[in-house]
Amino acid sequence: MNALADFIINSLGLSGLSAELVMLLLVVAVAAAVFGIGMTISGLLTLAERRVAGRIQSRIGPNRVGPFGLLQWLVDGLKLIMKEDVVPHDADPHMFRMAPYLVVVGVFAAFASLPFGQLLIASDLNVGILYLLAITSLVTVGVLMSGWASNNKWSMIGGIRAAAQIVSYEIPTALSVASIILISGTLSMQGIINEQGGWPWQWYIFYNPFTFAVFFLYFTAALAEGNRIPFDLPEAESELVSGYNTEYSGMRFAGFFLAEFANIYLMSAIATTLFFGGWQIPGVTPEQQAGSLVLQITGMVVFMSKSAVGCFVVIWIRWTLPRLRIDQLMSLCYKYLIPLSFVCLGGNAIYLLIFPKPSSANTLVHMITTLFGGVLIVIFVTRVMYHHRISGVSLDLNFLARGEKGKYNPETQVRAYGSFRKKYEKKQGAK
Amino acid sequence: MDAMVEQGPEGSFVLGKVDDLLNLARKNSLWYMLFGTACCAIELMQTGGPRSDADRFGMVFRATPRQSDTLILAGTITYKMASRIRLLYEQMAEPKYVIAMGSCANTGGLFQESYAVVNGGDLFLPVDVYIPGCPPRSESLIEGLMLIQQKIEKEPWLKKAWTNTKNPKDPQIEGLL
Amino acid sequence: MTSEALIDYVKGLLGDKTKWADPEAGDNFLTVASEDWKNICQTLATDKKCSLTYLRNFTGTDYPEDDEIELTAHTFSYSEKHGLIIKTRISREAAVCDTLSKIWPAAIWYEREIFDLLGVSFNNHPDLRRILMPEDWVGHPLRKDYKQQETYRGIPTTRPA
Repeated sequence: MNALADFIINSLGLSGLSAELVMLLLVVAVAAAVFGIGMTISGLLTLAERRVAGRIQSRIGPNRVGPFGLLQWLVDGLKLIMKEDVVPHDADPHMFRMAPYLVVVGVFAAFASLPFGQLLIASDLNVGILYLLAITSLVTVGVLMSGWASNNKWSMIGGIRAAAQIVSYEIPTALSVASIILISGTLSMQGIINEQGGWPWQWYIFYNPFTFAVFFLYFTAALAEGNRIPFDLPEAESELVSGYNTEYSGMRFAGFFLAEFANIYLMSAIATTLFFGGWQIPGVTPEQQAGSLVLQITGMVVFMSKSAVGCFVVIWIRWTLPRLRIDQLMSLCYKYLIPLSFVCLGGNAIYLLIFPKPSSANTLVHMITTLFGGVLIVIFVTRVMYHHRISGVSLDLNFLARGEKGKYNPETQVRAYGSFRKKYEKKQGAK
Repeated sequence: MDAMVEQGPEGSFVLGKVDDLLNLARKNSLWYMLFGTACCAIELMQTGGPRSDADRFGMVFRATPRQSDTLILAGTITYKMASRIRLLYEQMAEPKYVIAMGSCANTGGLFQESYAVVNGGDLFLPVDVYIPGCPPRSESLIEGLMLIQQKIEKEPWLKKAWTNTKNPKDPQIEGLL
Repeated sequence: MTSEALIDYVKGLLGDKTKWADPEAGDNFLTVASEDWKNICQTLATDKKCSLTYLRNFTGTDYPEDDEIELTAHTFSYSEKHGLIIKTRISREAAVCDTLSKIWPAAIWYEREIFDLLGVSFNNHPDLRRILMPEDWVGHPLRKDYKQQETYRGIPTTRPA
C-alpha cells in the first residue's frame, strides 16, 4: 500500500504530505466515487422502472425533463431534498433520523466489492461474496428501526414483516451462493469470474443441471430480499399505506427509495458475477484483457449490459405479477426454497466428486445444459412471437418513445385489445 | 460576488436563477396523494392511466401524505370527513398544494343544501386551483395540475423557505383537528 | 305463506293488540303500540310459521302535526318466502323505544342511524352513538323542524356570497 502512496506522492509532486494522509485521501476519494456510481445507477433505475412500467401499461412514462426524460431522477432527487423533513411528534427522534443512514450504508457499501471490470473494483476482498451477504444485512436493521421508531402501526407491521422476510430468505440465498463457491473454490468476486469464461457454456449457470436450478433459486430469494413484487410485503401499498417508510418525507425518504433501487442493481450484479461470467468477453482470455484498455472498457460494458438485463427482468416481474400473502411467502421459503437449495448443494458436491477436474465429459455436461437453456429461451421467444402475431400489432421495442405531446394516438393506445379484436374478426369470418 | 448579485426589483439575479432551477425541479416532480372522498376519485385514478398519462409530467401517486406534494380533493366532502382531510393536509410536508376537483369540492355542488356536506373545500383548506365539472375529465385534472406547475414557476422559493411565511389563503380554522 | 294467509295467521296469533292498515293503503302493514313493540317483534321473529328472521330495513319518519315519530321495520322470511311491515308510533318529545338488536343484530346500525338523524334513543342498545354525522353535531337533521347550526368547528355551513 505504501508503494502506491509513494507513487502518487512522487508523480504529483506532493512531497510535503505523509503517506498515511495520501492513503486516507485516496480511500475517501474511492468511497465517494463508489457512492456516486451507486447513486447514479439507482437514480437511472428509477427512471428505467417508470419508462418500462409506462410501456407495459400502454403509457409513455416521464418524458418532459431532458431528452426522453433522462433527467427525471435528478429532478425528483432535488425536489425531495427541498421538501420539509418531518419528524412525527410521538416518534423516537434519534432512531427515526438514523434509520435511513443504516439502509443507505448497508446497500452502498456493498458496491465496494462489485467487479465492474477486471481492474475496476474498489476492493477485491478475498471474502468478497461473504462480505456482500453480511453488509446487506444492515438494511434489515435500518428497516426494522425505521418501522419501530415511527410509532405508527403500519410502519411497525412493515418493519416486522421486512425483518421476518429478509432473515428467512437469507438462508436460500446463502445456500445458493454456497453451491457456486463449491465449484469455484474461492470467495473473491474476481476469483469467481476468473474461473468462468466468456462463452455461455463456460458460465456457472450452465455448469451442470444443479447450477441451472440454483440460479432460479437465487433469483427468487434475492427478489424477496430486495422487497420487490411479488414479495414486497413490507411496503404493500394496499394494506400498509407505504409500509416502513410511511412517516418519512423529503431526503430521508429519498434514502430509502434509492437504496431500494440500488438493491435491484446489486442483486443483478451479483447474479452476473456468480452465474453469467461477469466481465468476461467471449473469445478473450483474462490475460489478454489485462493488457488492453479497449478490452477493459468492453469488459465493463459487458458486465453492465448483463446486469442491465437482470434489472429489466426484475422490473418486468414487478409490473406483471400480483403480491403474495405473508403466509404464502413464508411457506415458499421454508417448504420449497430451502429444501431445494439443499438438494442443489448436495447435487453439486456429488457432481464435483464425479468430475473433479476439467475433462471432456465435464465439457459435454456444460454443452448439454447450455443446449437445454437455449431450447427454453427459443420456446419462450416462439410463444411470445405467436401471441404477438395473433394480436396483429406491429413490433415496437422503442422504450424511449417520446410520444406526441397532448395527442391521443389510437394506433398505439388500443394495442391491449388487439388480440381480442383479431380473434373476434376471425370468428366472424368463419361464420 | 457583489457584482454578480445584481439587485433588481424582484430580488437578486443569482438568487433568481437558483430559484428557477429549484422551481424547475419542483414543478416536474409533483407527486399527488392517492386520496378520494367520492366519485371524482374514479377520474383521479384514470388520470394515471394510458389516455392521460400523468407520469409524463413526473406526477406519480404516493399513498402517504408525508411524501405527497399535492392534495387533490376528489369528491363530496362531508363534515365528518373534513377534520380527517385537514389532518392529512397537516401531515403533508411543505411545500404543499391543494386542488379542489369537481363541483362538490368547489362549492358543495349538487349536495350544497344537504345537512352533511361542506360547501366547498376552501372553507377549511387553502385551495390553489379549482377544477369545474361533475366529474371533471382527466384532461381537466391534468390542466389543473399544470396550473399548479405555473404557480410553482413564479414562486420565489428560497425566500419563502427562509422566511417560513404562513399561507395567506389558509382559513386557519382552530379546533378542527 | 301467501299475503292473505299471513295476515290471518298473525291476526290469530296477536289477537286485538294490532291495528291493520285499510286494504286500500297498498302494502300490508300492522301498527302496534310502542309498549308491545319488542314483544311482538320477538314473537313474529321466533314463531315457527312466521319466522321473520331477516330485518331488511328499519327506519323512522317524523310527523310534527301528530307530535309523533313513526318507526317502520321491514321484515322478511327466507324460509317461508313472505314479508311483513311492522310499525309503531312513539312520542316526539320523549322519543324512547325498546331496542330490536337482541332479536335482529342488524338493527344495531339501523338504530344508530335513527338515533343520529331523528333523535330516538333505544333502551338497552349496546352501542348507541352517532353513525353518519360527527360526534359533536348539534340536532337531528331528519326532524322536520331542524335548523342547521351556523358553523361546525369553525367551518361555515352556508357558503358566503
